[in-house]
Formats: sequence, C-alpha cells, structure tokens
Amino acid sequence: MDYKQTGLTLVKKAFNRENVERIPWVPFAGVHAAKLLGIGAGEYLKSSGHIFNGVSKAVELYKPDGIPVVFDLQIEAEALGCRLNWPDNSPPSVISHPLQEDIKIEDLSIPSASDGRIPIVMDATGKLREKYPDIALYGLITGPFTLALHLMGTDIFMKMFEDPDEVNKVMSFCADVGKMMADYYIGAGCDVVAMVDPMTSQIDPDSFETFVSPYAAGLFSFIREKQSLSSFFVCGNAKQNIEAMCRCKPDNISIDENIPLDYVRDTALANDISFGGNMRLTTVLLMGTTEDCQREALECMDIGGRKGFVLAPGCDLPMDTPPENLQAVTDLVHDEMLQGELRASAAPATEVEKLDLSSHWNKDKVVIDIITLDSASCAPCQYMVDAVARASHPFGEKVIYKEHKITVKEGVQMMASLGVSNLPTIVIDGNIEFISQIPPVGKLGEKITEYLKLKTK
Amino acid sequence: MEELLKQIAHCVEFGKINQASPYPPDMKGEDGADELTVRALEQGATAEEILTDALIVGMGKVGVKFRENKVFVPQVLMSAKAMSAAMAHLKPLFASGTAKRKGTFIIGTVQGDLHDIGKNLVAMMVEGNGYEVIDLGVDVEAAKFLSEAEKYPDAVIGLSALLTTTMANMEDTVKAIKEKDPKVKVCIGGAPVTQDFCNKINADLYSPDPQGLVEYLDELAS
Repeated sequence: MDYKQTGLTLVKKAFNRENVERIPWVPFAGVHAAKLLGIGAGEYLKSSGHIFNGVSKAVELYKPDGIPVVFDLQIEAEALGCRLNWPDNSPPSVISHPLQEDIKIEDLSIPSASDGRIPIVMDATGKLREKYPDIALYGLITGPFTLALHLMGTDIFMKMFEDPDEVNKVMSFCADVGKMMADYYIGAGCDVVAMVDPMTSQIDPDSFETFVSPYAAGLFSFIREKQSLSSFFVCGNAKQNIEAMCRCKPDNISIDENIPLDYVRDTALANDISFGGNMRLTTVLLMGTTEDCQREALECMDIGGRKGFVLAPGCDLPMDTPPENLQAVTDLVHDEMLQGELRASAAPATEVEKLDLSSHWNKDKVVIDIITLDSASCAPCQYMVDAVARASHPFGEKVIYKEHKITVKEGVQMMASLGVSNLPTIVIDGNIEFISQIPPVGKLGEKITEYLKLKTK
Repeated sequence: MEELLKQIAHCVEFGKINQASPYPPDMKGEDGADELTVRALEQGATAEEILTDALIVGMGKVGVKFRENKVFVPQVLMSAKAMSAAMAHLKPLFASGTAKRKGTFIIGTVQGDLHDIGKNLVAMMVEGNGYEVIDLGVDVEAAKFLSEAEKYPDAVIGLSALLTTTMANMEDTVKAIKEKDPKVKVCIGGAPVTQDFCNKINADLYSPDPQGLVEYLDELAS
C-alpha cells in the first residue's frame, strides 16, 4: 500500500490537475454508512454521533482519500420549512413546497447555524476533521436549482417561461443559502465543498445558462475566496450542460454513469477543471460481484487517468451496497499489481494476438522472460528483475533475460502467449517457474543450471 | 378543419396553452390549444379526430425532440400543459363513451419514491398519444398495482423510480406482478434505471424517454 501521500494531498493534487502517484478514491457513503451501523437512514441522519460513527466505519473499511460527511440534499430545504418524508432505506424526500403554499420568497430568511439539522451535521464535521486530519472531507450543499425546486415544486419548470423574474429571485435566494452552508462547512473543517444539483440534468443549456450559471458561478467564486476547493456534482444525464457547468468554474465536476466519462474528461480538462465519477451504482456496485466492481473501477481509472481524476461512485451509494464490493474497489485502488493483472486478463485470450515464439527460444542459451507491470513503478517487479539479473550474471552469454511490461501491447501479447496470469512472473524457456514471489538469487541460479544441463544433453 | 388541427398540433408542440400564456414568446397574444380545441369541436371535429390528428401529432413531435435532446423537461411540461388544456374539452366526450382510446396504461412511482416529475411526463405523453392513463400517484405499493391490473386486464403497467435506493422496490414490484400474471407487460423508467437493470429484474421494457414507451404501446395495441 501507498502511505507516501495522504488522501488529502492526493485529492488536492487531483483537483489541481497535477500528476498523482495513485488515483484518489472517494466513496460517497451517505446512508450506506447507516447500513454499516445497522440502523435506519432517518435515525442516522438525525444524529451527530451516528454520522460520526458511520463515517468512521466507512473510513476504516474503505480507506478513502476523501469522504462526504453526509449526502442529504434535504437539509437546507428542511431548515426552510419543507416537510420531509423519512423512509428507512434512503435519504428523506421533500413532500411540501412552501412557495406553492401561502408563503412568498420574501418571507423566507437564510437559515442560521442552529436551524434544522445544520448543527448536527456541523458538529459531526468538526469531530471527523479532528479524527481524520489526512482525509479530504467533503461538505455537500444543495445546489440552488434543486433547492429552488424543493421550495417551488415542479412549477419552477413552467415559471422559467411564464415568470422568469420570480425564478431568478428564488434562485438568488437559494444561492445565498448555498453560500451560508458552504461557509458553515468550511468553518467546521471541510476541504471540499461540493454543490450537488441533480435537477439541472433536466433542463436545456439555454435555461441552464439563464437560470443556473450566474448563481452557480457566484457560489464557486465564494468558495474559492474562502480558499477552499469546490466540486459540481450532477446526477442524471446532464451531458448537454457539461460545458456550461465547466464555465461556472468549479475546481471539479463529478458525474454519474449516464454521461460517458471520456467525454467529461475531455471537456473538463479542456476547461482546466478536474473531474470524477462514475462507477455504476446499482447494476455494478449494488448488484455486481466483487470482480465486477474491480473491473468497473479499473475501467474508470483507465479512462480517468492520473491527472485530474477522482474515482468515485456516480452518486450517493445505495444503502445496501455490499461492503465487500467497496472493499474490493479499495483493494484495487491500492494495488497496482492487481490493476495490471486485471487489465491483462480483461483482454480475453482470443482477442490478444499471440506472438510467434519460434525464434524466441535458443538451443544453446536459457531464455528468461519476466512479465511485469513495469519495474520502474512497481517495487516487487523491480526486485524480481534485479534478482534475475543477479542470478544470470555468472552465466554470462548463456542466459538471455528480458522484462516484458504489460503496460505496452507487446507485454500483454507475451503474457498471453506464455500463459501467464499473475504479475510478476518468471518464465524460463517457456515454463512458468516463479509466480509473484521473488526467488532467492541462489535458487534462481540452480534453476538456470538445470535448464542449461538440458541443453547440453 | 385540417388547418385548425394543424394549428392545435403546433400549439402542443411548442407549448402554447392559451391566449393569455406568454410562452412561447413568438406566439404572444395568439390563440392557444385551449381556444383552438373549442373552435374545432364547434366546427364539428370529433374528439377522436382532435386527439389523433392534433394532440398525438404534436406530442409525437415533442417526444422525438425530447429523445434527441433538442428539448428538455421545461419545454415538455409546457407542451403537456397545452395538451391538458385541449384534453379538458375532450375528456367528457371520452368518458361518455362516444370516443375510443387505444388502450390503458397504469402508472405510478414505486414504493418509497416520491419523485413524480418523470412519472407525470410519461403519463401526459402516453395520454396525449391516445391512451387512457390510470395514474396511481407516488409511493405505490406492489399490491396496489396488482389490484388495478385486475380491474383493467389488458392494461400495461409502468413503474417509475428516481432514486437508486428505491430501485430495489422496483425489482420487488415487477416480481410481484409477474408472479401473479406473467403475461402483464411491465415497463420501467427513471433517471437511474438502465437497460442492464431492466434485464436483471425481468421487466418487459426500459426506455430512457417517453417516446420509446409510446412506440412500444403502439406496437402492442396494433
């Protein structure tokens, strides 16, 4: 495992689009953390102690580089008077919209730090900050459009056309609420403020630029002034708005499986913004096997790359996501060798063009092939190559050895042609001799001697 | 008459509800779906004609544009509102049995899910395409779908979910329906729902947009 960098450093580097030694991993464990404690979502989200314990449990199990304190887009709405419905297995939902009743936007005031569940969440944030100084803590605020929808109900969609001034007034208020929440989170110790605005996936780019961009941009600029990092989360198919989201100038955008990650990568990086996502929540993380989850994570990591990418689920994790699935992702993130093996086995043997090895072997000399991830970046690979070099040295020209890195096509082909399935592996004259473990030089020497004897017979 | 029906279709397509509605800006002050439908009925058009040659045509165009990401929820809601204004005049005629529908569609969000924007959109689109829609609302238990399906034996059922957390209830609901009567067709949709998920839970159709559902229903009805 890699302890050279703290999770916080990795997340910051990714946000700043610097190359990272390891891609940071941020599991969005919202009510899933309640599951880890064996309690219902409602009980969990109403208690600072439960939130603290739940996130602590998630940190222990998933070794994340960053983690949200809570994933609940109803906190602000509740503090503003929306009534909530509390199911046991998911975050609450808003069931009343004050602005549809007799209340006017002018009657509402920005919630204070003591309203609703805000003090509970901030208390948990402070305690988590103290316990985990090296993990990037994410404070999630409700995006202004989603909050406006909580306040107005679906009327907002039609009012965008019928009464745009009213919509602007509500959006402006909601952005102010967002700034207040961002301020509370930063004050309590969060490193990243993520503005989560899933409802923007439902509107067209013109409406987005008219009714969302000015307020979102204002919020991100406010967060930047506070010297904190920002992210723009959107769930759902918001592909049409990714460009416009980038122009709001968050430090990062995070998306779900509905949007192709390569498209988001190209758009975000072209706008000097980092990006994250987008592991499939239900079909893979909830319902898949541990191997499905690792392959999913690997695919995201290979598309995301080591510059400006944060590996994360597409959105809030389903409550019943099996912990072993997330632990499998953690294992993969921390184990480059496993990544290499999975990558190599991902290409089914029939698809890899095998090499013609007839001229590879030599009737007088012993041929040693070392299949590695890349000895420059993988320590065990490096030791294995070193061991072969040292063991071969006394035999001079009698031994030919070569490292095949599976980071290049030839390496993958060689791996398939030799029938190797683990990394690193030593193959002598076509026979798999040492898998994963680095043999002592003496033992390697003995093997070489055995093979040489076969040649002289 | 043909011209009048075309105008109604145009109003539905572009979301022109009535004369007072400021949207779309380029039709300000003109008559909307509301006034034009009254006029069409006065001039002797039947409810079926207006539904088939105006509302279905307009909603069909919106459905295709929605699928192609040329319009989004706000525009579709305006179209649906225009359609409802027209339907208000047609419904009494359908209720009296003087006009026919293509079939029946039962819809609701699954248990635990209170998000109804998508469900409402689909309901309006399906209704606008000539079907009777039984809207069971939000947070609907599997048992409720089963009892409604008994009342309308040929109906197709539609399940909606917005939350990944309620998708598990969608799976249970499909199972309950299929256990009772495997012939009942169940369609699913909602932002987090995918074809993959549909295959896994053995639903009959997943469509990312209402138009796909309408096409499926039309196929079953034909």
